[in-house]
Amino acid sequence: MTDDAHESVAVLNTTSVVGIAVCFVLAAVALFALPTLQSRGIGFTTAFWIVSAVELLTAFGIIYFIFNLHEEHE
Amino acid sequence: MDPTVLQAGFDLLGDGRPETLWLGIGTLFMLVGTFYFIAKGWGVTDREAREYYAITILVPGIASAAYLSMFFGIGLAEVEVVGRGTLDIYYARYADWLFTTPLLLLDLALLAKVDRATTGTLIGVDALMIVTGLIGALSTTMLARYTWWLFSTIAFVFVLYYLLTSLRSAAKQRSEAVQSTFNTLTALVAVLWTAYPILWILGTEGAGVVGLGVETLAFMILDVTAKVGFGFVLLRSRAILGDTEAPEPSAGGPSAAD
Repeated sequence: MTDDAHESVAVLNTTSVVGIAVCFVLAAVALFALPTLQSRGIGFTTAFWIVSAVELLTAFGIIYFIFNLHEEHE
Repeated sequence: MDPTVLQAGFDLLGDGRPETLWLGIGTLFMLVGTFYFIAKGWGVTDREAREYYAITILVPGIASAAYLSMFFGIGLAEVEVVGRGTLDIYYARYADWLFTTPLLLLDLALLAKVDRATTGTLIGVDALMIVTGLIGALSTTMLARYTWWLFSTIAFVFVLYYLLTSLRSAAKQRSEAVQSTFNTLTALVAVLWTAYPILWILGTEGAGVVGLGVETLAFMILDVTAKVGFGFVLLRSRAILGDTEAPEPSAGGPSAAD
């Protein structure tokens, strides 16, 4: 695809695939987690920032795993 | 549609939130986009194309979860603002943006093939843009809310600056198809993302010129276009299809932006 011709074979990195899936699930669950956090005695603002931190960290996690999605095999 | 209906929407859940109509439609559009991208990317073996598909599927995937949580009222909070009373804040919207906007920018960074330092800077400024917007949304005085909005908007100007300078010049080193797709997507991001701070300042969280029904509808249209529309343009472009499929004339033609 695109500009460069690759002679080496790119193989999917299973760890990265699992990492992306885990990050996605965590991010999706966090979107529904705020009421649960509040029911455990955590204040709204703290719970809100916990949810936001999870979203941002999972996004960074996905970016890391996307950069390592393939392994080169000659 | 009757403007009154447009303003009020329709209370689908019977919980006194007419905007649930727009949130339900948003959920459906995001889900359709997610499954369309999954179906289109099924069996793709090209290394770079797989990366674009992975990112582009995740964006509407998380957005559909965010819209569903807002639809059921889980992603909704009330903030007491001095002089304005209680404001309904759909915080899941901000959480969604924290996840999805870095990934949309990653698509553009991969397309332009910039180095990781530039990608990191771009995504860092983007995160700052959303976090300062979040602080504004939670602030309890209008002065603080407008001040954080200004901070967030300045960060957005820097994001645009990076897109139109560093990334654009890097994209110029790539093929004509990639340049064309990059220019189309950058124009899409520039126009749509500019509408967000304008809508925020006019909406219920800002000056209150626009009611919650219209605001929710407008955010839904912007979100669907900026995520599903973005992915649609990207994944149907000749830059991604490469030699494996026939190019689509809509996104693969010579660049009009250059």
